[in-house]
Amino acid sequence: MAREAAKDLAESAISKARTAGASYAEARVMATWERQFALKNGEPQPSYFAQGYGIGIRVIAGGALGFAATNDMKRSAVNEIAAKAVRLAKASSKVLREPVALDSSRPARKKWTAPETKKIENADASWLRGVLIDIEGRIADGRAGVKIPGRILYLGAELEKRFYVNTDGARVEGRLPRVNFFGSLTALEGGQTAQRFVQQGETGGLEVVRRVGLVDIVEREAKVMGKVLKTAAKPPTDTVDVVLSPELSSIAAHESVGHPQEADRVLGREGAQAGESYLKADGLGRRVGSPEANVSDDPTLLHSNGYVPVDDEGVVARKRLLIKEGVINEFLQNRTTAKEFGLRSNGASRSVSFNREPIIRMSNTFVEPGDYTTDELLKEVKHGVLFKTFTEWNIDDKRLNQRYVALEAYLIEHGELKGLVKSPVLEITTPKLWGSVKARSKHMEFEAATCGKGDPMQGAPVWTGGPETLLAGIRLGAR
Amino acid sequence: MDLQELNERAVSAARRLGADDAVALSANSADSMIRFANNSVSVVNRVEEAELTVYLAKGGKRAIASTSNLEPASVKQFVSELFGSLKGLPKSEYVPLPDRAVRYSPSRLSYDRRLEDVDSELPGLAKEAIDASLEAGGRRAAGVINAGKGTIAIMTSAGTQGIDSRTAITLNIRTFAENEASGHGLSCSSTLSHFDPKEAGRRAGEGARRMKDASEPEAGKYEVLLSPTVASNLIETVAGAASAFSVDAGTSYLAEKVGKKVASPLFSLTDHGVVEGGLGGRVFDDEGVKTRTNKIIDGGVLQGYLHNLTTAKKWKTESTGSAGFVTPHAWNLEVGAGDSSYDEMIAEIKRGIVLTSNWYTRFKNYRTGEFSTVPRDGAYLVENGKVVRSLKGMRAGDDLERLLSSVRLVSKDREWVQWWEVDTPTLCPWLLVDGVTITRAYG
Repeated sequence: MAREAAKDLAESAISKARTAGASYAEARVMATWERQFALKNGEPQPSYFAQGYGIGIRVIAGGALGFAATNDMKRSAVNEIAAKAVRLAKASSKVLREPVALDSSRPARKKWTAPETKKIENADASWLRGVLIDIEGRIADGRAGVKIPGRILYLGAELEKRFYVNTDGARVEGRLPRVNFFGSLTALEGGQTAQRFVQQGETGGLEVVRRVGLVDIVEREAKVMGKVLKTAAKPPTDTVDVVLSPELSSIAAHESVGHPQEADRVLGREGAQAGESYLKADGLGRRVGSPEANVSDDPTLLHSNGYVPVDDEGVVARKRLLIKEGVINEFLQNRTTAKEFGLRSNGASRSVSFNREPIIRMSNTFVEPGDYTTDELLKEVKHGVLFKTFTEWNIDDKRLNQRYVALEAYLIEHGELKGLVKSPVLEITTPKLWGSVKARSKHMEFEAATCGKGDPMQGAPVWTGGPETLLAGIRLGAR
Repeated sequence: MDLQELNERAVSAARRLGADDAVALSANSADSMIRFANNSVSVVNRVEEAELTVYLAKGGKRAIASTSNLEPASVKQFVSELFGSLKGLPKSEYVPLPDRAVRYSPSRLSYDRRLEDVDSELPGLAKEAIDASLEAGGRRAAGVINAGKGTIAIMTSAGTQGIDSRTAITLNIRTFAENEASGHGLSCSSTLSHFDPKEAGRRAGEGARRMKDASEPEAGKYEVLLSPTVASNLIETVAGAASAFSVDAGTSYLAEKVGKKVASPLFSLTDHGVVEGGLGGRVFDDEGVKTRTNKIIDGGVLQGYLHNLTTAKKWKTESTGSAGFVTPHAWNLEVGAGDSSYDEMIAEIKRGIVLTSNWYTRFKNYRTGEFSTVPRDGAYLVENGKVVRSLKGMRAGDDLERLLSSVRLVSKDREWVQWWEVDTPTLCPWLLVDGVTITRAYG
């Protein structure tokens, strides 16, 4: 992205929108670069490279919100699409009941760069392939103790550069490198199969692969599949205590806390797609969990997959305490929802591409750590199950009824881990889950994930995170 | 921008550099959207884009790249960089492109000039849907209308050329009433004249009205009547499993099942490159092979997988015109019609559940096909052929082969489905399935 040209186009777009009758306008120029390489059962797939460059313009005109985007970066084309956004917004006012308004957030003027040690642009196909071959070397041909005849390994490196302006005075320039890995492993043993999807991702340069210990992580997952297939026994069906590993605490935090506390869902704006929320606009202050239930979302975590120091409405982002001691403390807000709540945006507005409007997104959502060691927490359990990793999961669209099916899970007897149990199912309501939290460990882990929301769909990189979380008195199902 | 000129520029550059094979696929699209919630517009969108994708092969090495920077000098540089990147690559599963040049003419089966510029009509169409849903008993409606056109052109180093275009307009509306009751409606069409926002709105509103007193069912096995919306969501995963890439990668429950029974004799699944009314597809695939009609499952028996040139060579068969350079895939799915009416199907149910919409289908294991999905909106308990009450707060779980093998009745009426939970356009009937597991959450 030629920096000055991008700035010039963005400024031109908001100026044109103003002239065309917008009461507010913003423009976001994004340049993206990505390289991917994949091995399927050890076979190299064609390498993939993509570069994108375009502008998205959002306006308020006639009280309605309009968004338009193009990758025709001639000034005339950009100005034309800006005017079109205004025209379409005005024309939609016949179906408008409440004019859109923005809060009074302070416009950011900031240039930011996600920390990077080894430049992401050096991630050529040869480097990407080398990492995947290292992984293959650990898991192919039964080297992880089990046959894994189905292996898709994918490694990608990407760079996003963005320049954002709005008519309130925000001017933000950002640079975000990221490395992401996805692996699909299908193990076979005695006619039975087990399957595990492994995702890892952080912002940063080539150093990410070592920092996360990628090769070791995939090898461990492969080994576990063999043990599950060979030794897992039936899970208990009576009432037990459940220990959620960091991975399970993570997904629960994301699905049943982060999503229902997105203010756009609370206000009904995602009703036809991702759904609404069991929480209503008066839900702030409502108790939904035990005093041990503490969940946050923090876009400022360095290296995180969901690192967003300034959001796509030009608002400096900050940590959000979503559930504090079991009570709904804060929703994720953008400037329009914050206005409706009489609050200020907490910087949760993101767009994944120039051609997508910014909407409210989680960043890095996690259960806050407690003060137990992992061993101390397990000692609290007389009879229980540790959910270590999961495969199938889903939740209803109000975020009240969720299900997690474990792949790696252990019986706990008198504080000690016993053998593996096969596919226990935690199918539980949100109040029951968070109301059953008895203790949390201080051992935190974060997982990379891609959060789906919006229409058109926007898959946003996030972290989910948490410690071991002890749930008291739960009835499990089985697959 | 002339797409064929763009392709010519890219392929000429590749030829000059010495590529064994080259494909240029250039595409442009103009998509408009109006979203609404709480009976009010929430945003209007207009996205105009163009993109060039280039595939190159040299000495058994292959690379794919795409760019949105379509300035002539940039395209030449882009192809040059892509060709240069081949040097550092290993050989991959290379299969030469067809050496016979083919000229493709556009299919006009699914194109409506009236959808080329429909922006100004979207607010009125949204209002029609909202009003109909409120008249039918809803209180507030949320939804989206997407309308647009897309054109794609191909050129290969062997001289194959073609261009094709599609238009589509879809409405997804969800209407809410008291007690968080909700109903769902869809209208999906390649032409404006077949687009029916009023009927979709009416269905959503009626669904919401009927769900006001919904309660949870007992957990257990039920006969389940899947609407076209729900069935299409599951069928799309069947088509994914029929991709030879999925079979190779260990993520298909259809592995080792060609020629075997994988569904009820009443169930047939076909994929069409182009078909009357189809919202997707085109006359050529990414490798320049003519798309066609492929029977995936016929009378319950798996007929074969979807192939591109690479997977076809491995499986010692021919391409089915389903490329994806890497992953073969479906274009427009069609589930065969049965001979039952909706009312006849209800009358056949002893103890069952009607599901009208669902979301969040996730698999425990794609190799075994074990999944669960979460019903939402209209759901009704049927006893002895009569709808007795509305249901909420449940989950349906099964494996795909058992589910399709237990299809007992198929409706004669079918609908096109494409929405937030269904990417591949699917012409689908109602399916009555025996023995589906329904569960409830603890707590």
